[in-house]
Amino acid sequence: MRPLRALFIRLAAIFSKDRHDHEMAAELETHLQMHIEDNLRAGMTAAQARREALMKLGGVEQAKELVRERHGLPLLEVLLQDLRFGSRMLMNNPGFTAVAVLTLALGIGMNTGIFTILNGAALRLLPVPHAEQLLAVSQTFRKLNGPIQRNVRENATFFSYSEYRAYRDQNRVFIGLLAYAPFVEVTLGGAHPQKLLGSLASCNYFDVLEVPPALGRGFTDAECSAKNASSVVVLSDTVWRSAFDADPSIVGKPIVLNRTPVIVVGIAPPGFQGSEPVPSQFWAPLTLQSSLMRGQDRLGDDKQSWLGLLGRIKPGVSAKQALAGLGVIAAQIDQLDPGRITTLAIGSATLFSVPEERFALFSAGGVVLFAVGMVLLIACANVSSLLLARASGRRKEVAVRLAMGASRWRLIRQLLTESLLVALLAGILGSLISFWSAAGLMHFLQSIVSPGNWPVALNITPDLHVLAYALGLTLMTGIAFGLVPALQSSRADLTLAMKGESAESGARPRSKNFLRSSLVAAQVAACMVLLLAAGLLLRGLHRANTIDPGFRMHNVAAISFDLTGAGYNDQRAGVFQQQLLERIRALPGVDAVAQASAVPLDDNHSVTDFSIPGREGHILTEYDQVSPGFFPLLDIRIVRGRNFTEAENQTGAAVAILPESTARRLWPGQDPVGKTIVRSSTSLEVVGVAKDAQVSFLGGYGELYSYFPAGPKEQLGLRLLVSGAGANAPTAQTLSATVAGLDPELAVEVVNLAGNLEPWRTPGRIVSALSGVLSVLALLLSSIGVFGLVAYVVSRRVREIGIRMALGADKRDVMILVLRQALRPVAIGAILGIACCAALAWVISTVLPSDISGRFLYGISPLDPVSFLLVPGFLLSVAVLASYIPARRAMRVDPMVALRYE
Amino acid sequence: MGDKKDVWQGTLALMVLKTLQALGPLHGYGIARRIEQTSGDLLAVNYGTLYPALLKLEQEGYISSEWGTSDNNRKAKYYKLTRAGRKQLEKEAREWNQTTEILARFLAPGKEPA
Repeated sequence: MRPLRALFIRLAAIFSKDRHDHEMAAELETHLQMHIEDNLRAGMTAAQARREALMKLGGVEQAKELVRERHGLPLLEVLLQDLRFGSRMLMNNPGFTAVAVLTLALGIGMNTGIFTILNGAALRLLPVPHAEQLLAVSQTFRKLNGPIQRNVRENATFFSYSEYRAYRDQNRVFIGLLAYAPFVEVTLGGAHPQKLLGSLASCNYFDVLEVPPALGRGFTDAECSAKNASSVVVLSDTVWRSAFDADPSIVGKPIVLNRTPVIVVGIAPPGFQGSEPVPSQFWAPLTLQSSLMRGQDRLGDDKQSWLGLLGRIKPGVSAKQALAGLGVIAAQIDQLDPGRITTLAIGSATLFSVPEERFALFSAGGVVLFAVGMVLLIACANVSSLLLARASGRRKEVAVRLAMGASRWRLIRQLLTESLLVALLAGILGSLISFWSAAGLMHFLQSIVSPGNWPVALNITPDLHVLAYALGLTLMTGIAFGLVPALQSSRADLTLAMKGESAESGARPRSKNFLRSSLVAAQVAACMVLLLAAGLLLRGLHRANTIDPGFRMHNVAAISFDLTGAGYNDQRAGVFQQQLLERIRALPGVDAVAQASAVPLDDNHSVTDFSIPGREGHILTEYDQVSPGFFPLLDIRIVRGRNFTEAENQTGAAVAILPESTARRLWPGQDPVGKTIVRSSTSLEVVGVAKDAQVSFLGGYGELYSYFPAGPKEQLGLRLLVSGAGANAPTAQTLSATVAGLDPELAVEVVNLAGNLEPWRTPGRIVSALSGVLSVLALLLSSIGVFGLVAYVVSRRVREIGIRMALGADKRDVMILVLRQALRPVAIGAILGIACCAALAWVISTVLPSDISGRFLYGISPLDPVSFLLVPGFLLSVAVLASYIPARRAMRVDPMVALRYE
Repeated sequence: MGDKKDVWQGTLALMVLKTLQALGPLHGYGIARRIEQTSGDLLAVNYGTLYPALLKLEQEGYISSEWGTSDNNRKAKYYKLTRAGRKQLEKEAREWNQTTEILARFLAPGKEPA
């Protein structure tokens, strides 16, 4: 209490300094006079009395200084003084200030913008009341005896319905525990069938989240009491507005989802999107699962991972206690399945709550932030250089201050305050830029991600995290570019500087020159890493754009529809498929029609395992189930053996066709035709070998692949491939209409096969675009750095060059002299950069699974010689150009003028 | 200043408070004199220690000050004890007594601490 009061008084006292000084002087004077009077009274002479008093009391000025220090807050006063002085210095050098602030603001802005997006995705809590009380629960397991059997939907860390009920009913740590199944796609029936993406939710969903629907109600417990107990749904505000014109009377009325009539009981509040980054458009009770997804019973399957859990913790219970409490229940569940060991994890509830998703997001975000951070560092190096150059001009000022008794620490503090001021200005401007860059980046990501995907919605308005990040970054920047020049210039040699000795002579500038050279070397190294990365990615993108996937893509349309969701069974689906096949075949302009369960380069390939008689172990393979027309339609040649027959297709016979590379790996040097593989205890005969085609992964990454015939059991999941060239080839509209002619309520999706390439190029495109922008920025900043260094070197050596020329050196010699000095740091930086990048590439290629790096490089080696030769060449030529321009000044030096200089 | 001891910083505040309690409102010189006399001229109080201590006490609210006139008609700043200062004095005096008592027991000859 008392010290605090004193602090406030001292704070206030800063502003009444002068008055206090006067009072102090008066008080000390009185004290002195009283002492002298006493001494006189004691019989001393006037002079003696005064002398004794002064001696006794010690230095008046020192006392005043001591009192002054106690009076206000000296640290703060000094800071204010530094700030005043610093802003004056900056205003006197508007050019320097503008350049420094702008470069840094760009770096800070981009950095903060990217962080804003990461923050919105993974740090920001769900926008529900008291979100800090919400915990996301996830699980992983292992089994002591053999593999764990789980049917995984969406996420391996999700729970089964029975597990959810155990945790919900037995836990003592949560007020409520909700479960949700995200990404449920349904067709909204009506005049214009429309696809909706929503969630299934436990009936306490809106209660636990404390988000009551804006209109109507949430779910009641009774609605979840039994399977299909009650067909109700809550719609999102967006769907309510777009599909139902915000009609409030919709509440209480039935709508049709996947041919199941459900009653709308509520409308979620505007902006509420559930717990996933992709906004949910409706919420239906978990118990409605089998009505909305026909043919699947997830509720009764204890080995199905399909539910995410969120719990609202009881007041006073810590996260650790919650985890322990849930662990008891997990142990009980484990006892039902001997050998199983479940590990639970809990985390705060954000849009990305699942640990592995968060890890992937943070790694990707980390790489991007690292790249942007490098650009920021390059910018810092430039500002450092500028400061160092300016320091030469301020040598005299610094020397005077040192001579007047300022301590070195005091000077460094003064210079750092100036740097921090610049950084602060840049931080403010950068924060403004970050609003724009985050929104722009979000927009860019949305537009570049293939349009068929559901849009992601993140909250990217800045919050405390973002502000703290921007502030931290600003301070670090200020110190990063300010510290070295501050240390350097506060070490001025007093006598030299005071004598007005120019910066061009003496020993000091040599180390300053060394510093600047190191800065340039560092810049070039960082720039080289970024450029090489961009070069590799661009090569990958080029490969992706020009690659021949080994099958025909042009003038082929793929038609997909959801028969399962529409309530078909195998038999009716077979009839439907047959009818559709005939109708489409009859359309004018159609050359060929084929069926396949997976459309090439679509993301719906399945994985199965088979074994080879006489060999140990299981072999994993991706596969497609296709009709005989598939191979000719896509121009995939059968190189050995034969195609499936129509009869095999009708019955789903036990035969298989393998691609060449797969066959070669399974039976090297042998004829694969006639060999047997065993898939789920059925022996299949390999009847043919097809030419390799990258149907599942563009660029190919060495996975095994198999084709099986589509049988009567696959009819529900078959899609249609239609080829037709020429003017009268059917349009997407015609094809949709043909499907609608058979079943008007079926939601149909028609894509051009070539369009399936887009999602494959998208990640590469995003990353190349980003790294391209960054590396251009880095190159520009580094060129400025090199330019500045050479200009500085030339200006410093004007006299020496003049002497050399006077002694007979020609312009070429001078040029070489200057360039050699300038390009040495560039060469060192370049070599460092190449080494760094090669090491990074090696680490990436060994650490990253091939299917991830394959998404960016498409088979280009991370040590691609083309990139590693071209990029350094390019960077070096830019550096030479950047040094040539200022070096020309050296050639134009007039010896007479140079020698008379100063 | 010869062999006189400088005042130990922490104790000066207590001495000032005690002085003001004993003599009522007093100026800086008076306080210094009184402390020196009370100590039997064993202590020396100079500006550099006295005035920062007075300022600190004032900032903490234990004493207050106002300008007044001395006996010799000289303008001087008079310090006086506040209510908080009185309490603080009691508290510190008690603590100080306790400390010295404990130390005294330790230093008393022949009585080794158990």
